[in-house]
Amino acid sequence: MQPQLKSKVRCADREVGEVAKVIMDPLSHEVSHLVVSMNGAGERQVSMGAVQTVTDDLVQLRSSSSEVMALPPFKREDYVTLHEVEIPGLERHIHVTPGEVLVPFPDLERNVKRRKFFANLTYVTGLFIGLPLAFPVLKYLMKPMYAPLDNRWLKIGNIGKVKVDDAGTQFKYKRNVKEAYMPEAEIEKNVWLVKATPPVLEKVYQGKDMEFRDATGKAIWTNKKDMPYLAFSGKCPHLGCGYKWRKHKILGQVFLCPCHLSIYDASGKVLEGPAPRPLDLLPIQVSPSGEVQIIDMEFKAGTKSQTRIV
Amino acid sequence: MRTITGVLLMFYYVPTADHAYASTQYIIHDVDYGWFLLGYHFWGSSAMVICVFAHMSQVFLWGAYKKPRELIWLVGLALFAIVMGFGFTGYLLPWDQRAYWATTVGVEIMDKMPLLGDFMSRFLKGGPTPGQMTLSRFFVIHVMVLPAALIGLAGLHLFLFRCAGPAGPFRGTPVELKAKTDYFFPRQIWKDVVGMAVVFACISALAFWEPVVLLEEATPDPGDYHPEPEWYFLFLFQHLRLKMFSGEFGQFLGSMLLPGLLGAVLVLLPFFDRNPERNIFKRPFALIGWVVLIVSILLFTVSAIINREYLD
Repeated sequence: MQPQLKSKVRCADREVGEVAKVIMDPLSHEVSHLVVSMNGAGERQVSMGAVQTVTDDLVQLRSSSSEVMALPPFKREDYVTLHEVEIPGLERHIHVTPGEVLVPFPDLERNVKRRKFFANLTYVTGLFIGLPLAFPVLKYLMKPMYAPLDNRWLKIGNIGKVKVDDAGTQFKYKRNVKEAYMPEAEIEKNVWLVKATPPVLEKVYQGKDMEFRDATGKAIWTNKKDMPYLAFSGKCPHLGCGYKWRKHKILGQVFLCPCHLSIYDASGKVLEGPAPRPLDLLPIQVSPSGEVQIIDMEFKAGTKSQTRIV
Repeated sequence: MRTITGVLLMFYYVPTADHAYASTQYIIHDVDYGWFLLGYHFWGSSAMVICVFAHMSQVFLWGAYKKPRELIWLVGLALFAIVMGFGFTGYLLPWDQRAYWATTVGVEIMDKMPLLGDFMSRFLKGGPTPGQMTLSRFFVIHVMVLPAALIGLAGLHLFLFRCAGPAGPFRGTPVELKAKTDYFFPRQIWKDVVGMAVVFACISALAFWEPVVLLEEATPDPGDYHPEPEWYFLFLFQHLRLKMFSGEFGQFLGSMLLPGLLGAVLVLLPFFDRNPERNIFKRPFALIGWVVLIVSILLFTVSAIINREYLD
């Protein structure tokens, strides 16, 4: 019979404590030692050779209590539990539950650090599995992020709608978009047109034509400096809200963005507020019949220089 | 309750640009009690922000972030960010004008982040402008990513709290505190039950008397709508109107540097504030800092509300 955990331990002269742990021999699969908790006086490791008899709740030792007390204190760090080391077949030989069943710390593991080695090996293997996956996953998520720029001309209405010089007139137009797997849909957008007088034109173009280029740098259109119609993207260059043509108490008629109160004059120049650059001019052409066409461009908001994103 | 109402809303909600608005309208107008469940889910986010903010304020004022509770504070900050993330991502889902423009401005602000800004804003939008991909991404983040993160971190928060134990009042000797210490059951449970009942009643009342009303369907033309985020982001929105935050650098300063610095101070707080004193009345810098922050948030929020009338 194997000594049971919590069994009382009696020496030849008196009771000295109880069984706190048992130590198995990994080779013979038998209990080799007991760890006796000495009633608050530490723990001692007692060889099974010193055991005289074992009953259900008592372990009788041959030695006297003073001999047991004289044994060196138990060194827990020299042992590992059965949860920490696998010894084939050992569990079939254990009949002491519940509690801590120990086996001597294998000498090989003390120096080789096998556990640490296998832990690191697992990380490295994980890295080798994860790394090749990282790129496809990133590309998978990035698929729609960088759509090609669209340089089609869009009809937005007739110039007859513009009645007053140097004033903003909003043109709403519908644009067909086809996004990934979605059916083609119509979205509503707007631009602001200004019929500019020569001083305003001069402020905008500063005596030079304005050239628009595509992503490869190829010129796609030039707004002539003497063409009186200006088309401003409907997106505020501050944080991308929609702005309006409004009356300001001090500045008169201005473009005002209600989000963060950026104010622009008819030439798109910033008069007040946080916008970092003037309103964005778009390529515009007006046919002899007055039909207005623009290229629907959008630029990154919040930057001093223009970066086209649509 | 947020999870339950969220799952119930998903029985009808369709996260596509051509159906999100219609399906939300259907929930509000056609599904029995849909208006209440949506209203509860909507107002619940405000309650959550208020509760989290009140809890963080108490932890800060009571000095409960100090050693040995540094990790609880850090995990709490991450939970706060997740709650705000819930608010931000959930706002887009009804796909009305309010949703569209709050997201447009919010993502543009994120775009100002150095190096990663452009990538992050395109990543969230799923393209150069908000559309179907944005809706899909926000939906997945709102219903999968953030809840998973919340469950994990809330569990960790509680585990760490159990390890370190409650900080308790900042006044009193250890003996006095021990004498006052009570079991979690039944007194604290009772307080929690009453608290939860009050919050439930408030949210239900708001859902009942202030049901969610959608604006026009989302489109890149704002029409007469003046874009504005939910009230708990209003102070951030308003402070960017200040002159000092104009221009490219000013915008970076206002939308990234200052909020980033505030975040960094909160993260590092338990590490540089190593004084074991927890009594807020003996920590003048902490008290003044908290008052300044609260007053600023209130001022900016109120001025944003006043500005609405000026704009109309």
